[in-house]
Amino acid sequence: MWRGGAVRFVLASCVFCASVCADGLVNEDVKRTLDLSSHLAKLTAEIQLANHGAARVSSLTLALEAELAPHLAFIGASVKGEEEEDESLELKETTLHGQSGKFFEAQLPSSLAPGAKLRVKVETVFSHMLKPFPTHITQAERQLVVFQGNHYLYSPYPTRSQTTRVRLTSKTVESYTKLGNPTKSEESIEYGPFKDVPPFSQDDMKIHYENNTPFLTISSVTRTIEVSHWGNIAVEETIDLRHTGAYLKGPFSRYDYQRQSDSGISSVKSFKTILPASAQDVYYRDEIGNISTSHLQVLDDSVEVEIRPRFPLFGGWKTHYIIGYNLPSYEYLYNLGDQYALKMRLVDHVYDDQVIDQLTVKLILPEGARNIHVDTPYPLTRSQDELHYTYLDTFGRPVLVATKNNLVEQHIQDVVVHYTFNKILMLQEPLLVVGAFYILFFTVIIYVRLDFSITKDPAAEVRMKVASITEQVLTLVNKRLGLYRHMDEVVNRYKQSRDTGALNSGRKALEAEHRTLTNDITALQARLKAEGSDLAEKVGEIQKVDSQLKDLVCRCCQEAERLVAGKVKKDTYIDSDKTLSGKRQELVSRIDSLLDAL
Amino acid sequence: TRSCLLCVKMTKLGFLRLSYEKQDTLLKLLILSMAAHPNTCLNELFLVGSYFNYRTTRFLTEEGFYKFHNWFDDRAWYPLGRIIGGTIYPGLMITSAALYHVLHFFHITIDIRNVCVFLAPLFSSFTAIVTYHFTKELKDAGAGLLAAAMIAVVPGYISRSVAGSYDNEGTILSQRYVVYSNAFKKASIGKVLEFVKYQIETYTLLFKSLVLFLYWLMLGKISPWTGRFYSLLDPSYAKNNIPIIASVSEHQPTTWSSYYFDLQLLVFMFPVGLYYCFNNLSDATIFIIMYGVTSMYFSAVMVRLMLVLAPVMCILSGIGVSQVLTTYMKNLDVSRPDKKSKKQQDSTYPIKNEVASGMILVMAFFLITYTFHSTWVTSEAYSSPSIVLSARGGDGSRIIFDDFREAYYWLRHNTPEDAKVMSWWDYGYQITAMANRTILVDNNTWNNTHISRVGQAMASTEEKAYEIMRELDVSYVLVIFGGLTGYSSDDINKFLWMVRIGGSTDTGRHIKEHDYYTPTGEFRVDREGSPVLLNCLMYKMCYYRFGQVYTEAKRPPGYDRVRNAEIGNKDFELDVLEEAYTTEHWLVRIYKVKDLDNRGLSRT
Repeated sequence: MWRGGAVRFVLASCVFCASVCADGLVNEDVKRTLDLSSHLAKLTAEIQLANHGAARVSSLTLALEAELAPHLAFIGASVKGEEEEDESLELKETTLHGQSGKFFEAQLPSSLAPGAKLRVKVETVFSHMLKPFPTHITQAERQLVVFQGNHYLYSPYPTRSQTTRVRLTSKTVESYTKLGNPTKSEESIEYGPFKDVPPFSQDDMKIHYENNTPFLTISSVTRTIEVSHWGNIAVEETIDLRHTGAYLKGPFSRYDYQRQSDSGISSVKSFKTILPASAQDVYYRDEIGNISTSHLQVLDDSVEVEIRPRFPLFGGWKTHYIIGYNLPSYEYLYNLGDQYALKMRLVDHVYDDQVIDQLTVKLILPEGARNIHVDTPYPLTRSQDELHYTYLDTFGRPVLVATKNNLVEQHIQDVVVHYTFNKILMLQEPLLVVGAFYILFFTVIIYVRLDFSITKDPAAEVRMKVASITEQVLTLVNKRLGLYRHMDEVVNRYKQSRDTGALNSGRKALEAEHRTLTNDITALQARLKAEGSDLAEKVGEIQKVDSQLKDLVCRCCQEAERLVAGKVKKDTYIDSDKTLSGKRQELVSRIDSLLDAL
Repeated sequence: TRSCLLCVKMTKLGFLRLSYEKQDTLLKLLILSMAAHPNTCLNELFLVGSYFNYRTTRFLTEEGFYKFHNWFDDRAWYPLGRIIGGTIYPGLMITSAALYHVLHFFHITIDIRNVCVFLAPLFSSFTAIVTYHFTKELKDAGAGLLAAAMIAVVPGYISRSVAGSYDNEGTILSQRYVVYSNAFKKASIGKVLEFVKYQIETYTLLFKSLVLFLYWLMLGKISPWTGRFYSLLDPSYAKNNIPIIASVSEHQPTTWSSYYFDLQLLVFMFPVGLYYCFNNLSDATIFIIMYGVTSMYFSAVMVRLMLVLAPVMCILSGIGVSQVLTTYMKNLDVSRPDKKSKKQQDSTYPIKNEVASGMILVMAFFLITYTFHSTWVTSEAYSSPSIVLSARGGDGSRIIFDDFREAYYWLRHNTPEDAKVMSWWDYGYQITAMANRTILVDNNTWNNTHISRVGQAMASTEEKAYEIMRELDVSYVLVIFGGLTGYSSDDINKFLWMVRIGGSTDTGRHIKEHDYYTPTGEFRVDREGSPVLLNCLMYKMCYYRFGQVYTEAKRPPGYDRVRNAEIGNKDFELDVLEEAYTTEHWLVRIYKVKDLDNRGLSRT
């Protein structure tokens, strides 16, 4: 009804009296800023409200034109304090009887007394409000867009005075509506001031201007956040990107695109995505593999990825890619006993002035998480929870799924998920691995021990038996050699302490153990002989050498005794000891070489 | 190997007093596990054939076996289509699909793509183990270990078995050797049986394996008794009769340099192994001699059969090297430097010890250089996917040309779902897999007439080509052009094959190869070039607006860096086509076929 472009006041007088007069609120002074310098329409209104009624007012109503309402991506209102910080207001959607449009009710922090004044700032962002016109352009042409809005603040309250300042991207403006003779400077147009505007006034504002900023739209994004209690949070975003500016008409010439800097000026070559500072292992790929054209820059407070799609995006072209990274969980996951809280961005930065048509968030919690409770910063549509199975899962991880349409940068806010998790469950996965390996090794052990051959191979059996016997011989002989070394220590100690009792008991122990060991070896030797192995002879040789060795050890002992008793002189003892130990060394090496030959 | 040495030292020092048998097993296990360690690298598919196999495997895992078996592919060979389920050998796909399902049953959520990528390295590690057993049957465990170590790094086999080459060729070897070594195991049991029966058995086995070998050679590519098979038996057959086979670079005869490049030391040790086998004739060695010599012949016929030669080269060289080493190792007398024995040196063999240690040092040196050579070849030549090209920049930095995927991805997302893309058949598999668009001809090359029709379109004038393209319902045409970057295997260099293949059928009788040459018989794209060439569709698509581009300093615009010539036809406009997309380095150019004029006027 307002697209005609005619200047027309809509005076809804009856409603004006019925619903608004009762409040008695009046917009004393309104300063609107309409920022059209990107592909979004950002409208900020600073309103000086006054209560001209008789009663205190505790809430106020914000209104949106019916034509703008479907494009609304974000609305936020705040009360401007005198000194302190702005206080944001909670908005609740309501309806006003008999009025078209969208309405929000905001509760004031403290009710407004009659005659009192209040400064309110209302911030709105609209997506897809700028329509390319012409809708199809060639590569050489520049992109022109049309904005259609309202000259006045759409409000249920009468307005005393208002101005509107429109910010554009360039000074090239094809046409603009000239209500109230606006002043146009370099890149902006100033409307107003308009005095005494009735409530719900609408007047068609139309600006047709050049805008070559990237008209990128994320037609859909799926953000998957996988939480692991082993210290990692994996984030992956699957993004469908489309250039929603004027369609490219006719051929695409690479030559012109490379030679002339203003060729395809509205196309998008690359953009920057800002990831959290602790992001690691960033990957950027698509259905056909890794995309090699991207740069990563690690800054102090963030990680910047320069995303360059495989091809420049012209009007109407689209692409699809996946970006993912890992985050350390200690920055986002908090716990108190079994109570856990995850605080993460529900949606993150993809490019400046981003528009997301459709967002799906999938939050994968660890297996065994229960009593899940989600605090979202703004309403989302929750879908049925799913189960996700991945490495070492048995009964699946709970997945929270939520969707929302039409999001902008202002929606980059934190979501908090509370859940309980029994820490014992952390052991489940390692135990599973341990169990699997246990079963594997066990089956291998069983398999190796069993004989699956159809025919019997006696030779192999004998060989195995012999091998096991020689193994035993080896250990026994080594033990026996150890005994001699032990005896040496006993002798040395005796030489210092001259305690004959200790020497005798040591000698007795040696004799006893030596006898049992020698007997064992002889038994083994007999078994080897029984198997018909020629190794038995070698063992016999070892035994022979050993008996010599033992004699030497005994002699050594006696010599020491004689030295202590003073029967020999010290230097003769040293000489004889030297020859003895030399002989012993020779014998030991002979035994060693025999053992090696076994 | 360092850990092996360490082990040996430890046993010597007596830390680990293992019996010799155990030492032996431990060493064998260590060497084999090292040889069987898969060579993994990028997570990309490398070879052209892999894309088709990957696509079919994905279809199998997603749709199930019965749908796969009944699969009629309408994405390729438009408008004919292709019955895939019935015409391919599904072993490879079923193997990976089964692996995928088993892993997923245990909740090991590996992407089917990764299963495909890592299947070849997995099987190549099996090959190493099986080669060991096979060679052990032939000679002894030492030779087996050497052969396994050699096959683990031989470039000729790695080229087909690196991660990403998802093809029958890479996986088949291990299976083949399992059959062989089983055959010999059976044969050795057979010794107990009567001698005659044993001989009959081995010979039938031998014959069977030969037949199997030939059969498997063809498996996955073509059924026996087609052109490629004939060309194996008679190398000049394809050249004279079937241009489409002769046009593939993989089917060219092998040069000496590529033998050295792919096999290095093996080339010299192969005859040594053969000599040993002739010296010790048995059924097994006769078999390996026959296998080696026939593989040698086949590999000389076409380059791609280097794959068949490489393993047998490894086996025979393993035997050869092991024989040399054992011979001289015995003479090496370092363990007991006894003074007496030194005096009693053999007078017929002076400086025995020195000769032996010299020989062993030389062999060790050869083996070490072989390892270095193999690593170098693998990293330089076989480790980058053929889809991504790279070059060295002026400052030594690496420049990556990812143009193929750029173009395919553009097609995938910015053309209508039912668009038909015409290109030379080389890029068919890649386009269906990556761009997901319908194509006219692909690497399957089953229909020569259809390919010939495409060749005719490329070789004709715009007017004629428009008729063919309307007839085939083509919406986009894709060409590969290397003139800007210097990429030499582009469509202009393949163009003569298009002309030959285009002219080889009835509908292309008017296309004559000599029309595309200069009067002196040269193929030139510059001013001297034949006017037929300078006005054909392929020329125009490649060089559209190229005449304005400065490619090299001190050269006129439109200087083609592959042909090293300034192009002859510069300022022309396209009548029936419109440039739809050209990649960053001009490697791929895509044109849109214009619709018929509203008033039915001719476009040209």
